Amino acid sequence: MPSIKIDGRDVPFEPGDTVMRAAYRAGIEIPHYCWHPGLSSPANCRMCLVDILPPPGRPALRLDILEWSAEKNDYVVAQKSKLQPACYMQATDGMEVLSDTSDEVAKARAAIQELLLLNHPVDCPICDQAGECKLQDYWLLHQRSKKRMCDEPVHKPKAVVFGPTIVYDAERCVMCTRCIRVCDEVAQNPVLDMRERGNRNEITVAPGRQLDHGYSLMTEHVCPVGALTSSHFRFKARVWFLRSARTVCQECATGCNAHLDYDPRDNLPYRYRPRDNEAVNKYWMCDEGMLSYGRATAGRMLGAHVGGDDASIDEALHAAKDHLRGCDPARVAIVLSAQHSQEDNFALLTLGREYLGVTDVFVARRPDGLGDKVLRHVDKNPNGAGVKALVGGDGPRPLAELVAAAQKGRYSHVLALGHDVDVDVAALKSAFAGLTGSIVIASHDGPLTAALRVALPACAWTEAAGTYVNAQGMAQPTEQVLRPRGDARPGWELVARLGRALGFAIPWKTPKELARAMRGAAGSEPTHATAGAVAAEVAP
Amino acid sequence: MLQRTNYLSSRYGVPDGHRIEAYLRDGGYEQAKRALGMPRKTLVDEVKAANLRGRGGAGFPMGVKWGFMPPEPKPGKPHYLVVNADEGEPGTFKDRTLMELDPHSTIEGCIIGAYGIGAHAAYVYVRDELHLSKARLWGAIEEARARGFLGPKPFGIDYTVEVYVHSGAGAYICGEETALLNSLEGKRGEPRMKPPFPAQAGAFGMPTTVNNLESIATLPTILKLGGEAFSKLSALHGMRDGGCRLFGVSGHVKTPGVFECAVGLTLRELVYDLGGGVAGGKLLAVIPGGSSTPILRHDELVDAPDPKAPLHPWHGQSVLDVPMGVDTFRGLGTMLGTCCAIVLSERACPVMAMHNLMRFYRHESCGQCTPCREGSGWLERTLDRIVGGAGTLEDLDRLHEIANNIMGNTICAFGEGTAMPALGFLRKFRREFEDFVRTHGASSPRNLAL
Repeated sequence: MPSIKIDGRDVPFEPGDTVMRAAYRAGIEIPHYCWHPGLSSPANCRMCLVDILPPPGRPALRLDILEWSAEKNDYVVAQKSKLQPACYMQATDGMEVLSDTSDEVAKARAAIQELLLLNHPVDCPICDQAGECKLQDYWLLHQRSKKRMCDEPVHKPKAVVFGPTIVYDAERCVMCTRCIRVCDEVAQNPVLDMRERGNRNEITVAPGRQLDHGYSLMTEHVCPVGALTSSHFRFKARVWFLRSARTVCQECATGCNAHLDYDPRDNLPYRYRPRDNEAVNKYWMCDEGMLSYGRATAGRMLGAHVGGDDASIDEALHAAKDHLRGCDPARVAIVLSAQHSQEDNFALLTLGREYLGVTDVFVARRPDGLGDKVLRHVDKNPNGAGVKALVGGDGPRPLAELVAAAQKGRYSHVLALGHDVDVDVAALKSAFAGLTGSIVIASHDGPLTAALRVALPACAWTEAAGTYVNAQGMAQPTEQVLRPRGDARPGWELVARLGRALGFAIPWKTPKELARAMRGAAGSEPTHATAGAVAAEVAP
Repeated sequence: MLQRTNYLSSRYGVPDGHRIEAYLRDGGYEQAKRALGMPRKTLVDEVKAANLRGRGGAGFPMGVKWGFMPPEPKPGKPHYLVVNADEGEPGTFKDRTLMELDPHSTIEGCIIGAYGIGAHAAYVYVRDELHLSKARLWGAIEEARARGFLGPKPFGIDYTVEVYVHSGAGAYICGEETALLNSLEGKRGEPRMKPPFPAQAGAFGMPTTVNNLESIATLPTILKLGGEAFSKLSALHGMRDGGCRLFGVSGHVKTPGVFECAVGLTLRELVYDLGGGVAGGKLLAVIPGGSSTPILRHDELVDAPDPKAPLHPWHGQSVLDVPMGVDTFRGLGTMLGTCCAIVLSERACPVMAMHNLMRFYRHESCGQCTPCREGSGWLERTLDRIVGGAGTLEDLDRLHEIANNIMGNTICAFGEGTAMPALGFLRKFRREFEDFVRTHGASSPRNLAL
């Protein structure tokens, strides 16, 4: 593999890489504002200027400048290197780059940094970006000098509403054009551009339009300074109080990797940020996904209920046990959830098939929605592929079939996971009204929790570690972010407790034990014979 | 050496000299017809032999630039000729005279140029404000088309050439060739990063040559005289800086104007013989070729003791006596630029002159990249304070530092175009600046216009 040398360190690169990308791959930071790994390089911020040594035997390009000599009491002509933007220079084998080891580069960085702050309002105390602002970071790293321009800075529009999600402050803007390029290159919806010129220019929305495409929050995400703020996060938190956990977006089957930022003091989520994953979402998330962090608290089912009355988990488990005792496995339907994790689904499927001996498995899922060619998948469930793989064979049957069969009295019991459905809610209600027993474990309130008799509160994706299989078939883990709200417990744990209440020796009590069981089950589909045998033992 | 010529400006002052009849009377369009019958390589070699240094300011040899184009257009990759007539450099007004007084030489040059680079379409990008120029060019295009000199078969030869006039929208930066291309494409007039160079991906992403309008208008003369004979008109033929060109002089001279001379004219000849001498007092300094070229003082001497130095023949002489050439003026630490000099009389204030220029550059910076966007504004504001009498020596010492930090750090040459004249003024007029600051402006004549 060809390589370049950055400050004496060998850095391999792939053909077509710029110096910046080669450094980025190697984990070397060359300071930059306008460059972004997922966007084109306009080389306009000039923060990434580096000194590229000429090939051996060739003279370096030098530029005449002036310096003041106190000794001579006159200017003297001095020279400086012609620096090059790392984000635009193609790496060539053997190229030698000076970045952190060149005084001239350090001088240039300090100068660019000073110029960027020249007309900046330095309103950090009221700026949402403070704490994660490149201007702040690079001032510390590369400038560390006081402001020398004492004139009134250039004033520009503030708090400009770009659209439903974004507010713009032109005075804080460094004109890196990342937001323009996100609209052009990622969202494929060129709604932003620059107007005016020189130090009076500003970002503007196309006349007669709003910044309202499906990826508008990515403009804020890529903004290296506080110029673009999200109307949802604006003035809500100081970022240094927030902690981040790695999670996976639940809004569709793409399974975008995300950071969920939360405040441990109030146990609340504050925002999503895309988590780079070249294989899934690259650097991006859609607006629906970005705003779905609210689902960690909104619409939650925080306590158990039995027949519409609030209950403790123990009471609900007791009621569930009573419901299921003596049921005929042939007349029991298991409903898995494309919205719950593999862990929850595995637990319920195992209880149903292996311990109860049930054969009829259905899946509850959110109905399909709008997709696009960027990230959004029409399947609005995070784990449909996972459920399909767990069930094996032809996969679970659609809920509509269960509703039709239940209407005819085919089933006496339903044991379900999840809350949303892709069937008519009234039909679901009337079909399930005649059941002898019905139990649902769910994180949110929904048609399923309303239609079934016993409901147990499960943790949302934020409250328990889990695995979700996206449409590409990639199993992606999530971390626990928040402490469970209300009485919520991990879905798989509730399943295990229900199993034990029914008298089964469910072996997994901890996430680790569950993971081991799941690894053991993977690839070895339970046969109906063994499932039947277990069911026979259970039957009274 | 003052040697007036009369190739480019022969129809200046002729009644209806801009009409095709006048042009044809002088043998117009014969060279275009001849060029279309030549093998392309012969034509390019002829232009190379002419040693025509680009008249737009950079002074790059035109024939060499043509040589960067692919030899033949690839399928789906048409070539374009773009003629830069966005003449916006302060002090420069030569292309305008060609467009207004003799537009047919440009149209004929476009036919020759288009053939020379394998293009079938030429766009003449004209500065927004030059309304008469645009009208005259369109008029010339219509006349030439009516005679069958443009269109699918010019002169009956099977080589389509179309010429279009495209109006700029009032930005100086669009004189920079890649910003011009963006503007031509309907985009924001911001310079592009290079590479790719226009010869690889220029207008509409296709191989493109951008030539200055005077360079293009000189092509018929080159073919008429022959490349080498054209080059030998110049006193600097030996430095590969050939032919004749338009010299402009403005500012504090008695007879400002555009004069056609052989290359090799000196600044002294331009100011005193052609410009009629300094109006109002003695000569203070000359900005040799448009505002971006560093100023030369009247009392500067050539310092080239090394016998091998190109400027050695003029060692110890006044800079005013050095022939105006691309390489000679580079040797003087300035640039020949557009060859249109701005003269400052000693009754004018250099501090205010610099302030005037820096205001211009702040106003015209496109704002794309940081050093130019912010640096030009900082220069202007610092000078605002100095000119207002509130400046300090600290402010003065900041000026060169700001300019140093713009220099070489920008996307396009606008950065150097701002920093170089700024550094030039400071270096040549430090005493005047210091006096201005100490006396809060009392030392200055406080004049710019006399």
